[in-house]
Amino acid sequence: MPLSCRVRGSHIARLFPIVLAVAASAACAQATILRYGQAASAARSIFSLPVAVAEREGLFRREGLDFRIVIPIPGGSDKMIDALHDDTVDVTHVATPFLVRAALAGSDAVAIAAEFNNPVYSLVARPEIQRIADLKGKLVGLADPAGSITISMRKLLALHGVRESDIRVKILEGTPTRLNCLRRGECAAVPLGQPQDLLAQSEGYRLLGVSNDAVPEFLYTVTAARRSWAAANPDAVVRYVRALAAAFRIIRDPEKRGAVVKIIVETTGVPPAIAERTLALYFEPGRKVLPRQGEIDLAGLAQVIAFMGEAGQIKAPLPAPERFVDLRYLRLAGVR
Amino acid sequence: MLAFLAVAVAWAPSGARAGGEGFGPDDHAPDEGPAYFGFVKDERGAPVRDAKVSASYKTSLTLVTRTNATGGYKVRGFKKEISPSDVVITCAKEGYRQLRVLRRPPPKGKPVLSVETECRLQRE
Repeated sequence: MPLSCRVRGSHIARLFPIVLAVAASAACAQATILRYGQAASAARSIFSLPVAVAEREGLFRREGLDFRIVIPIPGGSDKMIDALHDDTVDVTHVATPFLVRAALAGSDAVAIAAEFNNPVYSLVARPEIQRIADLKGKLVGLADPAGSITISMRKLLALHGVRESDIRVKILEGTPTRLNCLRRGECAAVPLGQPQDLLAQSEGYRLLGVSNDAVPEFLYTVTAARRSWAAANPDAVVRYVRALAAAFRIIRDPEKRGAVVKIIVETTGVPPAIAERTLALYFEPGRKVLPRQGEIDLAGLAQVIAFMGEAGQIKAPLPAPERFVDLRYLRLAGVR
Repeated sequence: MLAFLAVAVAWAPSGARAGGEGFGPDDHAPDEGPAYFGFVKDERGAPVRDAKVSASYKTSLTLVTRTNATGGYKVRGFKKEISPSDVVITCAKEGYRQLRVLRRPPPKGKPVLSVETECRLQRE
């Protein structure tokens, strides 16, 4: 807490010992700056939803956080942990394979809360492509080769007898970029997250399959912090986790559905009907796309580690998922 | 606060590099505002490489990049609605302190496609 707050709090406390001291404390708490790293590719995608809801609904402010979004340029999933280490951000959104890879390379970054589980990535193609097997010899836009999007797409293609060597691949970071490639006619097919996959289908593009057909449930994106930073700033971390947990409760609240749809529309630029369909998809029985309160599913993280082992990115014996998380802040925030 | 953040971020470039290399066809969004570019120099005018450059909109949204070997940087990703006068450029590097920031005035009567800002650092 800034010195000015402590001084002001003491001064007020001398005059009105309890009530105003509490009020002053709350006011001062607003000065706690928290810099949140967001990948450029996530800034206008559905994956910014939990943080967008927390911000829009005033949940960070309620927790006394001055929440600031920082976007590293050049972006990319692999840059987010770097941003923790060079003091560009305090906490960051990151896809789990990149967290695991950084931790195995010596980073002390750990997951402190879950943001998205079990994403639904749709393989969407130009209208003339009838089925996945038709992609042989064609250009397919994929995400970072080390990430779970590409891993799940490889598995989906394999289910239909298509190996990666059968297609031409262009690496494109972020659903909006991949959708652009499809619209330009350069890519024959691309994996798209929501809501752009639904938008593309409404424009006549063809859905060939979804990632969930090929991969079991896994932990997709988390908020990460350096252990050392979090240990030195536990109050800020707990307040962040508490706000995030409240955001997930709002997203699940049917009475708040209109407000959440509005946030999706403003963040991603899709029509309200597409935003509605996105939420309906996420809450289909068994989808489990969104955590209930930011809780971390260790089995889902173990699945990511297994993916990385299968892809040859890490060698056996595979590390335990507990190595990559610190659950104390969730516990302190009352999330089980 | 994200009420404005939602309208503040255009689809940010994924392949951008400090100094402007690597801007491909994916990098432009129709709702994107001007690029912010320039150089970071020391007190003698020599380029400072690997300096951190921040473009901040009302403190709540910041795009951060680093300078290249010539001290150059370039960032974009703010939406058209964001006035360049609301975007503050700062620079930093370990062992230096920021001396001053000089923004070149844009040409009058023409749409602003890019905003040049020089940032000077001084060794501590």
